[in-house]
Amino acid sequence: MSYQRRSQRCSQQHSLQHSAPFSRPGWQLWPGLAIASALIVLAMAGLGALVLEASLPDLSELWRNRYLRTVVTFTIWQAFLSVVLSLLVAVPIARILARQPVFPGRAVLLRLMELSLVLPSIVAVSGLVSVYGRQGWFTGLANDWLGASWDLYGINGIVLAHVFFNAPLAARILLQAIESAPASQRRVAAQLGLGRWWYWRAVEWPAVKPVMPGLAALVFTLCFTSFAIVMTLGGGPAATTIEVAIYQSLRFEFDAGQAALLAMVQLAICGFLWWLAARNGLTASLLPDRRVASHRSKAGSSVWARLGDSAALGLFVLFLVMPLVAILLRGLPGMGSAFFPEGTFSVNPALLDATLRSLAIALPAGLMSVSAALLILASGTTVSRPAITRLTDVAAYLPLMVPPLVLGTGLFLLFRPSLGNSSEGLVLVTLINAMMALPFVLQMLKGPMGSLDSASCQQADQLGVLGWYRWRWLHWPRMRRPLALAMAYGTGLSLGDFGVIALFGSPGQPTLPVLLYQQLGSYRIDAAAATGLWLVLLLLMLFSLFNWLGTPLFRAGLATNSSRTVPEPEHA
Amino acid sequence: MLEVKNLVFAYPGQEAPWNFQFSVEPGQCIAIHGASGSGKSTLMNLLAGFLKPQSGDILWQDKSLRSHSPWQRPMTSVFQEHNLFEHLSVEVNIGLGIHPGLKLTPKNQLAIEGGLQSVGLDGFGKRLPGDLSGGQRQRVALLRAILRQQPVMLLDEPLTGLDTDTRDTLRHLLLEQKTRGSLIVLASHDEEDRRILADSVCIL
Amino acid sequence: MLIRALTLLLLTSAAVPANALKASTLTIYTHPSFAAEWGSGPAVKKAFEQTCNCQINYVVLDSGGDILQRLRLEGESTQADLVLGLDTGTMETTRQTGLLANHETDLSAVKLPIDWQDPVFVPYDWGYFAFVYDTEQLPEPPASLAALIAAPDDLKIIIQDPRTSTPGLGLLLWMRHVYGDQAPEKWQELKGKILTTTKSWSDGYFSLFMNGEAPMILSYSTSPAYHMAVDKTDRYQAAEFKEGHYLQVEVAALVQSSDKKELGRAFLDFMLTTDFQRHIPLKNVMYPATDLGDELPAVFNKLIQPSKALYFDPKAVTDHRREWLNEWLDAMTR
Repeated sequence: MSYQRRSQRCSQQHSLQHSAPFSRPGWQLWPGLAIASALIVLAMAGLGALVLEASLPDLSELWRNRYLRTVVTFTIWQAFLSVVLSLLVAVPIARILARQPVFPGRAVLLRLMELSLVLPSIVAVSGLVSVYGRQGWFTGLANDWLGASWDLYGINGIVLAHVFFNAPLAARILLQAIESAPASQRRVAAQLGLGRWWYWRAVEWPAVKPVMPGLAALVFTLCFTSFAIVMTLGGGPAATTIEVAIYQSLRFEFDAGQAALLAMVQLAICGFLWWLAARNGLTASLLPDRRVASHRSKAGSSVWARLGDSAALGLFVLFLVMPLVAILLRGLPGMGSAFFPEGTFSVNPALLDATLRSLAIALPAGLMSVSAALLILASGTTVSRPAITRLTDVAAYLPLMVPPLVLGTGLFLLFRPSLGNSSEGLVLVTLINAMMALPFVLQMLKGPMGSLDSASCQQADQLGVLGWYRWRWLHWPRMRRPLALAMAYGTGLSLGDFGVIALFGSPGQPTLPVLLYQQLGSYRIDAAAATGLWLVLLLLMLFSLFNWLGTPLFRAGLATNSSRTVPEPEHA
Repeated sequence: MLEVKNLVFAYPGQEAPWNFQFSVEPGQCIAIHGASGSGKSTLMNLLAGFLKPQSGDILWQDKSLRSHSPWQRPMTSVFQEHNLFEHLSVEVNIGLGIHPGLKLTPKNQLAIEGGLQSVGLDGFGKRLPGDLSGGQRQRVALLRAILRQQPVMLLDEPLTGLDTDTRDTLRHLLLEQKTRGSLIVLASHDEEDRRILADSVCIL
Repeated sequence: MLIRALTLLLLTSAAVPANALKASTLTIYTHPSFAAEWGSGPAVKKAFEQTCNCQINYVVLDSGGDILQRLRLEGESTQADLVLGLDTGTMETTRQTGLLANHETDLSAVKLPIDWQDPVFVPYDWGYFAFVYDTEQLPEPPASLAALIAAPDDLKIIIQDPRTSTPGLGLLLWMRHVYGDQAPEKWQELKGKILTTTKSWSDGYFSLFMNGEAPMILSYSTSPAYHMAVDKTDRYQAAEFKEGHYLQVEVAALVQSSDKKELGRAFLDFMLTTDFQRHIPLKNVMYPATDLGDELPAVFNKLIQPSKALYFDPKAVTDHRREWLNEWLDAMTR
């Protein structure tokens, strides 16, 4: 009977005395709120600076100016197509992965999927072009054998690249959601022998539904604000996104007015989408996650099913891996001089310096973004007024929606760092990287954090397991895995970032992506390809490391989510 | 004495709100009796502080509990299911009942061990709830409730679905608690439970 | 954590005045290809530091446009003493900010295809824009701009977007110079051959050209010099166009608010000496601003020597750029 109780937002009840440290409701609320407010202030500062600099053109400019109209419609259209296709790819893949919990290479595949988002775009685009470009492997195949005429350059190239970047991430998040469906429901489904369609309806869809709006909004925003991909694969200025137009307005035209107008349009569209997504917010799960054996459902076990799954998975793997292989092949020749400059094994000092510097920025950035995300999530659950919760949510996604140039200008005006001083500049870059990673990290942690069931919440409320204790005993054990993944993303995004650090300049001591561009600018193509490859390998190592950190060792009394099956004891 | 005075509550969309009224002395047990949907669980939640009433009051020894949060009230709840934290061991589950930060004195540890023995779960300390049967889980839940040593126990169908032996053992435990002065509010379908444990009945 | 980071940030901001920068440190804002480890920057730094009793500190920004942007944002409180890496495209706008000072350098050593008398900007290298092609894919490139425009559409070229890239803007000006008001129509004819307009030269070169996506890419006439001298291959050459090539000059300037103007001017003087210029040809892959005589690497003789250097006055560029860009956009999106 208790499981029919309506699910309630699991909020900590306030009290006058508190014995649990940090259980004062203020601790839960204010840090997150402060961070969210700071983000809003930042974005406003950036926009404000632009608006002050020049007068805003009339809003009707948007309609009258054919160019601006084309830009806005194109941006929306390509983002929309990209989202739909990415999700169409991600959902089946996530389902297949959930259905087949064990097969050789699964762990590697998951790492590769996590990787695709954080690849520096220039490296990834080069890989994609190798495969799908005019001289690409795929193109040759498609044109000769299938009689199609495939042209990478244009909207199909853009959408392809977006799917490459985002579908794996989406699948990863969806997989996490499906895997956290209550085991008891999975067992019932297994016992009833539910086929694929009903299994989807009864078990997978409810698990996936809370995550979908946020995921769709995330992917949409990513594709909406896409820059380098759109320019390289777009085929011409007809393929211009709002972000490109803003960049152009600010850089060459110094038309701050047009830039501000476009930035606001972008903010309005994306912000509105996020608001919608936040309204269909997360509800706490109804059932606790019982650690019982989850039998392979009927949906996954027949020979035909497995064949079908393998085929689909195989295609996906090809799609994901081919560009990576291309990157590998291009980078190998240069690795020689990078790692064996004089015949013996020693790292090229420039490469070593750049690597260490990159890590010195990326690791703190990852840590900061994860901490900020947790604080924001905590404040979200405290407040009873949903409007404030939605506001903090949307604020956290601001770094995605506001063009980095605008954000950077805002930050610059607020802090006015002296570029000559290296440590200062680096701290600022770390801060910004943490901010830019925040939306992803938040999306990743939102699901697991909110999934404490209402019965456990009530018990915890009554026992006084609040504040720090609640985190330590109830949340932390279940969050290890998601936290590890979130940390990996936070660090990885910073590692591969070029835009932010370029905004703030570096005192002549480059990080890895900057090194890559320097090499490119000096015609050292092979060296650049090697640096690119090294960057990818480093990211892979990073994700593997964090995954290993997140996997719990067996501990009696504190076992956590694991996909290992537990032998079924006597029935209740 | 636990007094419930004109406690009024209605779920959104409910036409006729409930109005609860009764009182119980320590060492007594009151059974709440009614058909499904008659408001038994709602009453339990109101007493525990998980729901806020529209009006009325709950008095414990003449002091109002209305503004008190769940963990400030002198109550312990045991539900029909899902009492335990599934990812924590039996020991830890009970320990959190004694101190929410799991800072246990040796005396506490001994009490836990002794308690497990007395309910026939000797050596189960390190097991996970998922590895236990329903009866075993309820025993752990009740043990936690007892070791918390709160004056009032709110039991919402705690023995439903358990086998006869377990039910006997647990009823025995509850009777023991009554003699030690616990006040029990029991919601149960079962005639036997009411007959053996209850001193008074409240019909919804 | 965040609080700690913010405190650290505030503390470091406060510590700036007490920072241990040597009294005679010259801060130069520049861009990556100059300041890179194998670029001209480090060699130049070493050479200059030997003559003066000072230290050079390079602050690296993304591109010439970024240097301008940063300067405008910082205004009078900028830490820069010199800016190095602007080009003829951004010169005029930078001058209009009023943040630069006159250089007072003797420009007689400057040897450019055009006459250079600017009081504020000192050139340090120059080059022609040209289409670089892969001799293996395209043994017979077009010999003129007209031929390129008239070529069949299956000859693909990679160009950069004039809104985000210097060479891109260069091509725009080039077409304008050759065709005047007919430029938009010519662009429409060229459109079918354009594979894509990339954000920057690096993006196009690395991701597309080196993958063999198209046989021609907009670049500099000096690019093949690198491939010939360092990669030891003759595979990539520049196509010489009959109508002439558009000129690009890279410049440096002194910042008005700098308190080390003496040192800055000394550097600008140094820029026109052989000790500086010898590091330009192969490290910067451009023509030196002065006559290096024998020190010019032999491969430079194998480069194309355009018959005409096309050049718009920077002021004209600034005045008309917006208009020309809009026409281009119009033509390309029709």
